[in-house]
Amino acid sequence: MAKAKRIGTENLGRFYTEGKVRNRREWRGLADTAYDYSRWLYNWFNMARIVLVKPRNIKAMFRYRWMGNYLAVPMMVDRHTQGLRGEHLRICHAEQDIIIEDVAKLLDKLFRADRRIGNDTEFNKKVVLIDENAMQSVMMGFPGIVPLSREIASTYIPVLLNQRAALHYIDIAQEYGLAGDVCPMPEAEAGLVIDDDAPIVGCCAIQCNTTCDGSLMGNGVVYKRLTEEGIPTHQLAVPLRHREDDVQEYAAQEIRNAIAFIEEHTGEKWDWAHYFECAKRVNFATRSRLEWMEMSKTPYPQVFGSNLALYTETNYMVVNGRIPLFNEADKKISALAQKAYEKKKLVANEYRHRAIIWGVQSHYYMDFLVWLLNCWGIIPLTDMLSMVSTKIIAEEDTPENREQAIYDIAWLTENMLMRNRTHGGYKVLLDELWEFVEEFNADMVILWEHMSCKALDGMHGQFEEKAREKGIHLVWVSHDLFDPRVISRQGVRDQINSYMRTVMREEPVDPSLEVLTDEESW
Amino acid sequence: MKDLKHLKYFEDLLQEANNELVTQAKAEGKKCVAYVCENTPEPLLNLDGIFSARLRAPRTSSMEMATYYLTSFLCEYSRALLERAIEGGYNFADCLIAPDGCTMINRAAENMELLHTMDAGKPHFFYEHMEIPMKADDNGLNLYVLQCQNHILKPLHEKFGIDVSDAAIRKAVEEHNKVCRLIRAMGEYRKLDNPTISGYEFAVFTLASYAAPKYLIMDKLEETVEELKTREPDEKNPYRVRVVFAGSELDDPDFVKLVETTGAYVCADRYCYGSFPGRDPIELTDDEDALPQICRQYMYRGQCPRYMDPPKMLGRRDYLDKLAKEYKADGIIYEQVKFCDPWAYERMIGSHVLHDDYGYQVLSIDRPYNASGVGQLRTRVQAFVESLEIKKIQGGAK
Repeated sequence: MAKAKRIGTENLGRFYTEGKVRNRREWRGLADTAYDYSRWLYNWFNMARIVLVKPRNIKAMFRYRWMGNYLAVPMMVDRHTQGLRGEHLRICHAEQDIIIEDVAKLLDKLFRADRRIGNDTEFNKKVVLIDENAMQSVMMGFPGIVPLSREIASTYIPVLLNQRAALHYIDIAQEYGLAGDVCPMPEAEAGLVIDDDAPIVGCCAIQCNTTCDGSLMGNGVVYKRLTEEGIPTHQLAVPLRHREDDVQEYAAQEIRNAIAFIEEHTGEKWDWAHYFECAKRVNFATRSRLEWMEMSKTPYPQVFGSNLALYTETNYMVVNGRIPLFNEADKKISALAQKAYEKKKLVANEYRHRAIIWGVQSHYYMDFLVWLLNCWGIIPLTDMLSMVSTKIIAEEDTPENREQAIYDIAWLTENMLMRNRTHGGYKVLLDELWEFVEEFNADMVILWEHMSCKALDGMHGQFEEKAREKGIHLVWVSHDLFDPRVISRQGVRDQINSYMRTVMREEPVDPSLEVLTDEESW
Repeated sequence: MKDLKHLKYFEDLLQEANNELVTQAKAEGKKCVAYVCENTPEPLLNLDGIFSARLRAPRTSSMEMATYYLTSFLCEYSRALLERAIEGGYNFADCLIAPDGCTMINRAAENMELLHTMDAGKPHFFYEHMEIPMKADDNGLNLYVLQCQNHILKPLHEKFGIDVSDAAIRKAVEEHNKVCRLIRAMGEYRKLDNPTISGYEFAVFTLASYAAPKYLIMDKLEETVEELKTREPDEKNPYRVRVVFAGSELDDPDFVKLVETTGAYVCADRYCYGSFPGRDPIELTDDEDALPQICRQYMYRGQCPRYMDPPKMLGRRDYLDKLAKEYKADGIIYEQVKFCDPWAYERMIGSHVLHDDYGYQVLSIDRPYNASGVGQLRTRVQAFVESLEIKKIQGGAK
């Protein structure tokens, strides 16, 4: 397969130490190193500007144990830019930097509203607390409302920053009596509220049964805390068999009910003009994503891997066209990708295999896909969480479209990332994987086996049998999502290492990455 | 107490999913509708010409094949069912109806379908997966009705020519209610201070009503109810305390026996395959079609933790409180089959709420699918019984 020589660092493994951080920054040539460093400074500046200059946010730093993890933000970006040069480095920063800014704003708003910290009561009247697992499409017609998710800030993002961020909350939930075999994500969220370590915000809250049984049930624990905090809560039920016609009316009515609940508790009215503006931006993001996917079907993919996954998570699930800045980022990414594509640029030194990444990725090792590419030359063409709805929704404000819009919001909500594959029957999880393998001309499937994800585990044997039948290399990578004590990062890597050495009989592209000392790293 | 005349017969019946009454009903030309979740309205599966069998896998030992397909992280119930299906243990079924009650059962049923475990040589066989509501409200009811029409009644009519008219459904409800009333009548004896039916005996009869064609057990249930009217209890009550047994799927009465051998009388059963609320009669009126009435009652009475709206969430604990009061329980045992996500959470929060807010002593346990080799469990229940006794002796607050 294709080869290229990148400027600068040959062996990325030599930056690893036994401590929390790397020993130095990567040399990428003068222009790229300067650019990368300027973005490092920019991210610090942005976080300081939005968060750190305000005394209330400093107070929050001491009140909430999860806040300390945010000091590792710049390092998280560094993990995702490993080995990148030129356009690819800039694509990564376009994706990461806007996410960082968005998260900084989330933190600032959370603490402004938090009864314990900023306690801005007027602001709080317009804040709606949103379940981390809910698509925020139901907020597209409420320009005057501030939707905030405290779980995103307190558990979801911290694990991306620091692999051990959720352990305390997992332990709390288990001490309270929760079985240790449930998914650690809702488990950590339950631990967070049991530990009373979440900001108290919002005039009302929306919960959702999106991803899995664990997430659905974790809501019960969160609801108990919300009741104690006096926050009225609405449960938005989303059908599981989301591809079936006979559930769509139910889903649409649930959206109508949720909108009515928000209107009742905030005094805001649904704004159709704003909704359709957002819808246009949602469609723009969809078309951009489709463009990037088309490139990934060629020998010269440009936008892929963990950056695509993180960007899609934010843009598709949380933004929903509500923040125009993300469309600007889409445009920038597309332009950079097109430029690199025309030059037939490779992202790494060597491409050996084309892989579809399927299943629920490890949160504590989100940059695994970067490693996969650099260590073994396996291109992570696309991943399950990026394979979300590509439907173009109604975007012109007409009476018919106003009715259609409710179904579109319902469709988006049903197709929240991950749940659009983990729910809906085996066809969306199993059969469509093999369709993507063909479409993307992949020769390998890397299958994340999140141990406590029952939806994925329940198709284990079927995946293996189909892969054998189709002659595709299927590599299982077990992990426990939020808990590196169960399977460490090196444990994750070893599963690939042993497959590549024993089955594929290959040597790594970069042997310095095969075994890394990142056990104690953030 | 003197043994109940039909107890042994029912115990034997429960040794096989493909029991002699299933064979008999099939020989009579009836089609068997297999199903897997308490959220499936049973009367719709017992129309003229069909009978229901809720799948179980008694005497399960190895689950190696199912573990390959589902991994060891799925609950043993779903794995045991798949294992039995792969072994051909459900070949008596003519169709499978599987609501997406929980992910694990959904995956077990999907694997049954993908592996063609039951449909070989049966051109009319169908697998139906149906959506069921997550909240008890009007929208949920509309969904429930539509799903029952599309995924139960329609295929039954099209594939087997079953009469699915309102009249036929009402007749099925009537038959269903007869069984429910008999089970309820037996259960009433559990309220006695010195009860004349053990929790284990009751569990056996109740379970049989899920696992065998109802019309074929009716006479024996009636006889048992008559027998109970005059059954003399032991002179000395063998039980030291009374408990409500609540939790997830449980289709092995030996668990109830295990609890009772430690001196705790299981006075009420709130678990999937138990009698609460599964054996509540369905009351129909004439001013509305039967189907929405059935769905409404299933939806509002359901105690499945997948219901996420607050009235249902809070209602589940209220329900146990009412049962405990009505059946004079001293404590509550919350059980959960290992790896069950919905009940892992419900058990955790329920055991705290029932203790802290309602003042009950609660034992919270997870358990394997079947009751063999559960010595540790016995020890825990024994300790719980002792703690309840001490509390009684010391006269502390309930």
